[in-house]
Amino acid sequence: MSAVAGMGRAEAERAGARNVRRRRWRVVLRHAALLAWVAVIMFPIYWMIATSFKEKHEWVAWPPHWLPHDPTIKNYSQIFVFDVQRSGVAREATEQPFNVWGPLADSLLICTLSALVALLLGTFLAYSISRFNVGGRHFRHAILMIRMVPPIVIAIPLLMYYAIMIPLATEAVLGTRILLFDTRVGVSAIYIATTLPFVIWMMLTFIEEVPYTLEHAARMMGAGRMYTLRRVVLPLVASGMVVTFLFVFILNWAEFLLALTLTHPDVVTLPVLLNKFQSASEGRLFGPQAAIGTLITIPVVILGVLIQKHLIKGFSFGTIRK
Amino acid sequence: MAQIDLKDVVKRFGPHLAVKGVNLQVRDGEFLIMVGPSGCGKTTTLNMISGLERPTSGEIAIGGRVVNELEPGERGLGMVFQDLALFPHLTVYENIAFGLRVKKVPQAELDQRVRAAAEAMHIASLLAKRPAQCSGGESQRVALARTIVTNPSVFLMDEPLSSLDAKLRVDMRTELKRLHERLKSTFVYVTHDQAEAMTMADRIVVMSKGVIEQVGGPLDIYRKPASQFVAGFFGTPTMNFLAGEIDARDGTLAFASRSLREPLGDALPPSLAGRSIVLGVRSEHVEVGRGETPGRVQLIEPLGNESLVFFEFGGDAPLVAKVDAETRLRPGDNLTFGFNPAGYHVFDAASGARLN
Amino acid sequence: MSEAQVSQAPRTAPGARSGSFGRGLGAWLAQERVFRLIPFVAVEVIFVLVIIIPFLLTIYISFLKWRANRPFEQAYLSGFGNYQAVLTDPGFWSALGRTFYFAGAAVTLELALGFVLAMLVARTVRGKAAYITILLVPMMIVPVVVGYNFTMLYIDSGPINQLLAPFTQAMGLDPRIRWLSDPVAAQWAVILADVWQWTSLTFLIFLSGFSALPRQLVNAARVMGASAWQIFWRVELPLLRPAIVIAVVIRAMEALKIFDPVVLLTAGGPGTSSQSIAFYLWEQVWVFNKFSFGAAASIILLVIFAVLIFFGIWLLVRSSAAVGRERAA
Repeated sequence: MSAVAGMGRAEAERAGARNVRRRRWRVVLRHAALLAWVAVIMFPIYWMIATSFKEKHEWVAWPPHWLPHDPTIKNYSQIFVFDVQRSGVAREATEQPFNVWGPLADSLLICTLSALVALLLGTFLAYSISRFNVGGRHFRHAILMIRMVPPIVIAIPLLMYYAIMIPLATEAVLGTRILLFDTRVGVSAIYIATTLPFVIWMMLTFIEEVPYTLEHAARMMGAGRMYTLRRVVLPLVASGMVVTFLFVFILNWAEFLLALTLTHPDVVTLPVLLNKFQSASEGRLFGPQAAIGTLITIPVVILGVLIQKHLIKGFSFGTIRK
Repeated sequence: MAQIDLKDVVKRFGPHLAVKGVNLQVRDGEFLIMVGPSGCGKTTTLNMISGLERPTSGEIAIGGRVVNELEPGERGLGMVFQDLALFPHLTVYENIAFGLRVKKVPQAELDQRVRAAAEAMHIASLLAKRPAQCSGGESQRVALARTIVTNPSVFLMDEPLSSLDAKLRVDMRTELKRLHERLKSTFVYVTHDQAEAMTMADRIVVMSKGVIEQVGGPLDIYRKPASQFVAGFFGTPTMNFLAGEIDARDGTLAFASRSLREPLGDALPPSLAGRSIVLGVRSEHVEVGRGETPGRVQLIEPLGNESLVFFEFGGDAPLVAKVDAETRLRPGDNLTFGFNPAGYHVFDAASGARLN
Repeated sequence: MSEAQVSQAPRTAPGARSGSFGRGLGAWLAQERVFRLIPFVAVEVIFVLVIIIPFLLTIYISFLKWRANRPFEQAYLSGFGNYQAVLTDPGFWSALGRTFYFAGAAVTLELALGFVLAMLVARTVRGKAAYITILLVPMMIVPVVVGYNFTMLYIDSGPINQLLAPFTQAMGLDPRIRWLSDPVAAQWAVILADVWQWTSLTFLIFLSGFSALPRQLVNAARVMGASAWQIFWRVELPLLRPAIVIAVVIRAMEALKIFDPVVLLTAGGPGTSSQSIAFYLWEQVWVFNKFSFGAAASIILLVIFAVLIFFGIWLLVRSSAAVGRERAA
C-alpha cells in the first residue's frame, strides 16, 4: 500500500478501479455463501411443511416428491379429532385419528403458568441482586451453575420424589395424598425451577440499565420502595419482561426430557406427543407427525422473530454496553 | 429556617475514608457551592445531606433538627442530579407531578402547581412531551421545575450543568442565579468547575481529599487562597508557582531561588527566614516589559481581549503572563519581566499553607 | 397543615411530619427487609424443593439395592455396590466417551460456522436484517421437531438419498441407503442435527460480539494502512475473545446434555452406537428399571459435570472481568 502522494494520476485511477472490482466480487461471494446456508436452514423446515400437506402414499415415495402432488389437509383433520373414542378405530393404522387439542392445551397452560411465575420471582430477585447484592457477590454465577446441571441427573430422583415421597409426606402431614407426578402443577414446578436462572440473568441485564439516580430522585421526592418499584423501575423494564417471558415460554415449549419423565399417561405436552408417534408407529405416520411438528414450530418461530432483536442483547452477557 | 449544620461528619466506604470529619454551616437562603477535584468527597457530602448516604459518624442538622435517621423524602429537600434523572417513561407533566403524587396532593391543586412550576421555568409548551424529545437545556429546566414544584426549603444540586454544552452552561448559570434570587431558598451546589463556583456562589467550600480546604466568598478565595491547592484550583490560567526559600540577608525578607531573587516587602514575619516556600503569582501580576529579568517567549495564546504569553526564564517551569492583545511578541523573542508585589501569595513548601 | 399548603404552598419544613416519623421509619425498615429477602427466600425454597431435595434423595438411593419392579420398602442398603457396578460397566464409559466425541465435533463445527456466518453478516449491508432473522430460526425450533425433521431427511427414500442418487447409481449401488442403520452415519446424523440447530446460537453470540466491536479501532487500523487480514487477526479477533469464551462454554455445556435428537433420530442405535450419556442413563432407568444403578450413575456424572461447570464459570467470570478491565482502561 504505497501512499497516494507518491503515485501518478493514472496509477491512482487504476488502483481505484481494481479496488472497486475486488469489492464487488467480495459482496457477491458473501451473499452466495449466506444464501447457501439459508438454503441449508430452510430445507428441513420446508420438507416438514410440505410433508404435512402430502397424501400418505407420497410420504415415503421413491423418488421423493419435492412438492406435494395433490395437496391435502387430511393430516391436520386427522390430528384435530375431539373425541377419538367415538370416531372408532380406523381400518388402517395410518388413518388413526388423534386428539391434539389436549396436548396443545396442556402445553399452553404449563408453559404460560410456569413462565409467569418464574418471571415474577426472577424479576424481584434480579432487582434485589442488582440493588442490594442479595446472596453475595457470586450469587449470580451460582445461579448460572444450577442451569448447567444436566436435567437427566435430576430426572431420576425427581420422578421418585414426585411419585413416592411427596404423596407419602403429604399423607403423613396433611392427611391427603398430593400427587405431583403426571400433573400440570408438577411439570410447571420443575419448569419454574429450571428457567429461573435464565429469568434472573436476563432481567439483571435489563434492570442494571435503569440508572440508580432515577430511584434516588424518586426517593428524594418521598416515594417508598414499593412505589418506586411500581412507578419507576417496572415500567422501564416492562419490555424486557415481555422478552424474558417469551424466551422462557419458548424454552418450556421445547422441553422434552423432563416432561417425558414426569408424565404418563394423563398429561401430554406436544414434544412428548410427537415422540409417541415416532416410537409407537415406527415412522409410518409421517404425515400427521409433520402436521404436529408444523403446529409446534410455527408459533414459537413467530414469537422468536418478535423478540430476536432483544435476544441479541440478552445473549451478549454483558459484552455489549451502550 | 433552613440552615444546615454538619458536625464532624465522617463517611467511610470499606477501608476508604471519603469524608474525613467535615464541619460546615450552610446559612439560610445562601447559595453555597462545594468545589473540588473528583474524588474529593463533595458529592458524598451532598449525598449525606440528602439522606442517600448515611454518615459513618457525626451529625447533620437541617433547620436545627438532627436528620441523620430521616429518609431522603422526609427531609424537605429538592435535588437535581448530574444526569438529571428524568423518568424516561413519563411525560414532562408527570415528571413534574411525581413528587406531588407521592404526597397525594389533590388533583386540582396538583395541576395548578405543576403548571405554575412549568410556567416559571418557561417549559409550559413541553408538558405533553417525553424527556427524550427535549433538548439538553429543556431537560435541565424540567429537572428544575420538578424540584421547585414541591417548594423545598433546600435545593441540592449535583453538577447539574455538566451534561450541557459550553455555551448553554454559561447561560444556565445566570438562570440558576436568578432562580436563587427569586426563591430565596438555601442552595447547596456541587461542581468541579471553578468558573461555575466563582460566578454563582455566595460562598464557596473548597474540598480536597475528604477535608475542607477553605470556606469563603468567591473574591476572598481568589485573592487570598488559604493554601497552594486552592490557589492552583481557582483562576485560569493556573497560578504560577515558584519554589525557593526565604532569604533575609540584607535585612528585608526576599524570595530566592536558583534564578530569581525578589523582595517580599514587609507582609511576612521575620521569623520565617530560611524557610522553604512556594511563591504564587497570577498571570495578571506578571508584568512583561517592566522588570529586568530576561526571558524567552515559547508560545502565545490569544484570548481575544488579551493574550497569554508563556516564556522561560531559567527556572524549573515556564511562566505565564497576561499581556495586551495587540502584543508584538512572537515565539523566540526575548523579553524582560517583573512581578507586582501586591499579587504575591506565599505558601509553605511542605504543608502548602498560606504564610502571608 | 394541608389547608395552609393549598392556600400559599409554603416550603415543606424539614421534619414537619416527624410526629409519625417513628412509626413510619419502623414500617419502612420492615418493608425494606421484606423487600430484600422475600424473593431470595422464595427462589431458594423452590431450588431446595425441586432441585436440592431430589438431589439428596439421589444420593440416598444410590446406596440402595432396589429395582423398581419391587416395592420401595424391600430396598436395602448396599454400600458402594452401585458405584462399583457403574464404574465397571463398559456401556457407561463408552456412552460418556461418545458424548464427548459428539460434543467436541458438534461444538467445533458450530463455532467455526457460527463465526464465519457472523462475520459475513456483520459485513453485509443489504438484506442484513433478513439474514439475521432467518439464521436465528433454527434455535427457536423445538429439538424434538428437529429430530423428526432429520429423520425425514435421512430415511431411505428421503431427499438426501435423492440428491446423492446420481453418484450412487453411477457406482452401481442402490441409492436408497439406510443411513440410520450404519453406526458411523447414525452418529453423524446426531451431530449434524445438533450443528444445524445450534449454529444459530453461536452465530448470535458472535454477531453481538461483532456489533460491539469499537469501530474507531478498526478505522484507526485502516488509516494506518493495515490490510483486512491484519485487521482481522490483530484487532478484531483479540477483541472477540470474550464472545468466543461465552460461545464455547455455553455450547459445550449444552452439547454434553444431548438427548432429544438421539431419542428421535436413532433411539441410541444401531445397537448402542449412537447412545449419549443422557440417553444411556435414561435407558438404564426407564427401560431396564435399574433405579439405584441410575442414581449412582447420576451422582458420578454430576461430579464430572461439576468439575466442568466450575471450569466453565471460571472461564466466563475471567473473561468478563477482562472486559471490565479493558473498558475501565
